[in-house]
Amino acid sequence: MRSFTDYLRSVDDDALLELFTYRADLISPVPSDIASLAVRACSAPSLARAIDALNQWHFQVLEACAVINEPFSEKQIIAVTEKAAAEVLPKLIARGLIYPSDDGMRLPNSVREVLGSEIAGLGPASMAKLTLKKLDEAPDSAKKVLERLIWGPPRGSVGDIKNPGPGVTWLLEENFMVPLDQRTVIIPREVGIYLRGGKVHKEREMTPPEIKGTKREMRNVQLAAIANVATVLRWVDEILEYWAQEPADALRAGGLGVRDLKIIATHMGIDENCAAFVAELVYLAGLVTIDADDKILPTNNFDIWLTQSASTRWQAIAAPWLITSRVSGLVGRAESKNTAALGPELDRVNAASTRALVLELLAENKEVAPELESFTKRVKWCAPSKRNPGLQEEMVQWTLREAEWLGITGQGVISSYGQEFLAGADLDIINTDLPQPVDHILIQSDNTAIAPGPLVHDVAAVLAIIGDIESRGGATVYRFTDTTIRRGLDHGKTGDEIIAFLRKTSKTPIPQPLEYLISDVAKKHGRLRVGNTSSFVRCEDPALITQIISDKRLDILSLRRIAPEVMICDMDAHDVMNVLRNAGYLPAAESTNGMLLTGPRSSRAQSKPRPPRIIGELEVPTDAALTAAIRIIRVGEKSSHKQSTLRNIASNALGALPRTTANETLDILLKYIQEQRSLSIGYADNNGAVSHRIIDPIKISAGSLIARDHGTGEMQTFRIPRITGVAPL
Amino acid sequence: MTDGPLIVQSDKTLLLDIDHSMSTECRRAIAPFAELERSPEHIHTYRLTNLGLWNARAAGHDAEMVIDTLIKYSRYAVPHSILVDVAETMSRYGRLRLEADPIHGLILITTDTAVLEEVIRAKKIAPLLGVRIDNETIAVHPSQRGQIKQSLLRLGWPAEDFAGYVDGQAHEIALKQDDWKIRPYQELAAEGFWHGGSGVVVLPCGAGKTIVGAAAMAHAKATTLILVTNTIAARQWREELLKRTTLNEDEIGEYSGAKKEIRPVTIATYQVMTKKKDGVYAHLDLFDTHDWGLIIYDEVHLLPAPIFRFTADIQSRRRLGLTATLVREDGMEGEVFSLIGPKRFDVPWKEIESQGYIAPAQCVEVRVNLSETERISYATAEPEERYRFCATTRTKRNVVESLVAHHAGEQILVIGQYIDQLDELSEVLGVPLIKGETPIKEREILFNKFRSGELTCLVVSKVANFSIDLPDATIAIQVSGAFGSRQEEAQRLGRILRPKSDGRSATFYSVVSRDTIDQDFAQNRQRFLAEQGYAYKIIDADDVFQGKL
Repeated sequence: MRSFTDYLRSVDDDALLELFTYRADLISPVPSDIASLAVRACSAPSLARAIDALNQWHFQVLEACAVINEPFSEKQIIAVTEKAAAEVLPKLIARGLIYPSDDGMRLPNSVREVLGSEIAGLGPASMAKLTLKKLDEAPDSAKKVLERLIWGPPRGSVGDIKNPGPGVTWLLEENFMVPLDQRTVIIPREVGIYLRGGKVHKEREMTPPEIKGTKREMRNVQLAAIANVATVLRWVDEILEYWAQEPADALRAGGLGVRDLKIIATHMGIDENCAAFVAELVYLAGLVTIDADDKILPTNNFDIWLTQSASTRWQAIAAPWLITSRVSGLVGRAESKNTAALGPELDRVNAASTRALVLELLAENKEVAPELESFTKRVKWCAPSKRNPGLQEEMVQWTLREAEWLGITGQGVISSYGQEFLAGADLDIINTDLPQPVDHILIQSDNTAIAPGPLVHDVAAVLAIIGDIESRGGATVYRFTDTTIRRGLDHGKTGDEIIAFLRKTSKTPIPQPLEYLISDVAKKHGRLRVGNTSSFVRCEDPALITQIISDKRLDILSLRRIAPEVMICDMDAHDVMNVLRNAGYLPAAESTNGMLLTGPRSSRAQSKPRPPRIIGELEVPTDAALTAAIRIIRVGEKSSHKQSTLRNIASNALGALPRTTANETLDILLKYIQEQRSLSIGYADNNGAVSHRIIDPIKISAGSLIARDHGTGEMQTFRIPRITGVAPL
Repeated sequence: MTDGPLIVQSDKTLLLDIDHSMSTECRRAIAPFAELERSPEHIHTYRLTNLGLWNARAAGHDAEMVIDTLIKYSRYAVPHSILVDVAETMSRYGRLRLEADPIHGLILITTDTAVLEEVIRAKKIAPLLGVRIDNETIAVHPSQRGQIKQSLLRLGWPAEDFAGYVDGQAHEIALKQDDWKIRPYQELAAEGFWHGGSGVVVLPCGAGKTIVGAAAMAHAKATTLILVTNTIAARQWREELLKRTTLNEDEIGEYSGAKKEIRPVTIATYQVMTKKKDGVYAHLDLFDTHDWGLIIYDEVHLLPAPIFRFTADIQSRRRLGLTATLVREDGMEGEVFSLIGPKRFDVPWKEIESQGYIAPAQCVEVRVNLSETERISYATAEPEERYRFCATTRTKRNVVESLVAHHAGEQILVIGQYIDQLDELSEVLGVPLIKGETPIKEREILFNKFRSGELTCLVVSKVANFSIDLPDATIAIQVSGAFGSRQEEAQRLGRILRPKSDGRSATFYSVVSRDTIDQDFAQNRQRFLAEQGYAYKIIDADDVFQGKL
């Protein structure tokens, strides 16, 4: 029997090249020799990756290979599947998932483990010889039982194995069913295949399921897509402008809190899923970042972004989306409430590949808006996801939704922008197809202003401050109220400036009530002034205040006169008094509520007393605690004595720690697993310290050795890379 | 990108550029399914609502047509989500049907059992249902027809009502168009109503809603119950019906505090209908005394709550609501639509004005300054007294005097909220005052004198807010109002909108105290009219004193 390593040694460069094309992980980093290549190719993660890349039909053939006994021939596989399997086998060989040995085809180690325990819903091979023909004459009660197990899982539970029903009794007697434990029985693989009519699978899915959908007119698709492009660009503008004004606080765990997400969703007039998507888009494109003080703020790139053409801007957000492993759809689902946009938990392994597959299928089905169910089926066929099929389904849905939001599709059909984008072509066409920005508004007497198209950025930025957006879309409707005008004034504009701006921007005359509104608010704005200060100086005689203000010796106080009788100062009242006294004035202290403070200064602390903690003395332990402590120490001592005796025996037997290379280790382990002998191994712990273990190896699974450790008497998992050496006892 | 007049926004509003050459055509095309929200001078706002789309379905328009219209007139690409939404919403209509059944009376039938299963499980619906007849059918208590329609609407599965209307007792009514002609929009409104079965017609004040009512009666040719706001309005209706239809005096009855006549056409006031005797509404029986073929609700925006409830029980009778201003500060507009029926006709005020059917009007806000002492008193007044204080400030009196003097010779109405203020004004101006306690007789005499020109100025309280027809009044001066009520402002303007014999335009003055909540309320009050395209001009009280108007 030739091993997988031997097979790899025997193939030519072309075959290796093909293998590496399919399984790029095998050469990163490049392995030192064929033996290490074989080890890596048989490692569980690499195999899992290779198997994930198979489509449904190839996967079914591989399953068929895994359920029949080794070595197997092409004929055998065709018998349990279909004729077309003959074409698939070379492909599986090329991927290193099966290999031709001298006696027929075989599976490399671990393939079965990666495929799982009950492959294709079939049980283990039968230990006894079976006369399968007898199954045809099985009593009805037995047939009923079999019917339930036939398509897997092959296990079933019985009330009590010692007292089963008549059907189960017959099956057990004929060895068509094997007891697993007190309550569970399983039907052997041969029985399963026989009952399935000699095939492994119910249906052999050789051809990809067809994508159904609605045909759409390309003109409308383009129109819808460009509307989407315009919209997504507007969203990005809006979210960034908003955060520039009101930075959101990042959560302690990172990411955008639910409340802040809601706020931006409401602000932009979109739902939270979409808001999370836009937030992620700008994050991926480097347009926002989480600042050192945990504020989510636009970066300098935003300023550059604003000056760029629409196509460049669109590409800047679409390109990172295409390749990211982050999945914004995960935000805000019922199952994962705490997953936040911009947070650390959005990465998913297959995100980019699923997205690429979805887009590829969209591009293959031009002019058709796929119907979700058939589309998902097709994706599933192309990339059957074994670990998390639910997530894959959702990811398909999310990708379709996001592609629409981005304008890669319009009305669900891939647009020419999407096609060009996926082909990596130049997207100047977006600039010509987008509605041309307008630089004017129409103001109406109900205090609204309408921008009849996308506004140029400068105008939009000012309007966003002095008006509330009432309606969005191709046009924008702004409403002016006293609150919005006040906001404009708070941003440093004057009433006249606002009126001048509106007069310049509006194509229609400003209605008089609006002008009145602006000047009314402007008149009132800032009439009250509020500020911080440390102390004040007041005097009922304005002349004295004037004298103090002009006194050169008091310049150091930088007093500011805010009323004829009042001055303020940024220095502490006590210091101000001292300075004034030195200059020959006679100030008295006054409390904030106007009381005259007299008498010598004798201060008291404002806060509660907090005497320092006492450190050092321990409490005297009770008698009970003392005896308990002694007992614990005694027990521990005994067990460690036993341990060290065992260890001494082992090291005597061994002399020294065994040392083997990784490949030898694997070979020796495999050999002795079959022989069922005890082994001595060196095993490195987390810190690299190597300990000696005496073990009975049981099996190798997913890069780990499962064995019984003599030292503890328990089953334990040993990671193979940590085993420094193996030697038989 | 085309160059259409319509911009479809992602929040389901439609902006119509009325300066565009295709705007009239487009307005006609979208009117069946979109609701007019605002109609200021340049851009009108319509909204796609579920109710509007379902009404369009009921009127025989399908989603395809709606979508085609949107795409045809849209300036920019229509957001895909809107198209999907329109199709989805419209497809929900008609999956449930209400039908008359010889055995069970009224049944709910579905073409989609899943929908039926969903609705019969809804808490609000279950108690309205009777026995399950089969998979697709369930009985409904006939008295719950209105209730179940309303609840289904809220669930998003509107029922198509095939149960029909009772014809009522037949009574010959026809329009008598000898010396006048029904206006095109009045005819459209009446027809729109008749084809829809039940519903609300929205027309500006002074645009002749009574005629629409009369035309509806001529369609129904059956006994009719007309509900109006007060006795004066009842008499106006009576006059108008006698003049415009073939009905004679014996056929029209008045059912009010003063008289209790029940005739083939009966005009009742809301007040008498909602009067309680020993804790029960004694007069609601009126709905049942006669086999009415049509019920007309005048000024439906004022519909009182008990009538709301009662209306839910008479869904098999045809109902027509008439109003100029379907805005309620209590947000009950939706209830009106679901009980009386959807909006069947609505038209921008300015359009009727441009056709010459209502007088052009100018709105002026006169701002008066409080005197220094008034300012201090205002600042320290109790919050609940503040509005009254600033609305009745003395300076307003001088302004009113000047305005009345300025417009001497014209027909002037001075309207206010607070009786003390009105008493004072009536005394200063030397003109009669009509208020709540003025007997109906005297009111009628005064109104008639005003109409004949014998009186040129009247001071009126809120009793004259609605329904009072004073064709030649050209000037209204509002000194105070019911806080921020938008419809009151519009209704008061409505008093002077009847087209004048000499084609003169009307002027509406609203006197407001500067920098007080009076001004804030005024802003809210003006919103409805501003949205109808009435641009307010603001002037200062000093301008009035100096005669600079």
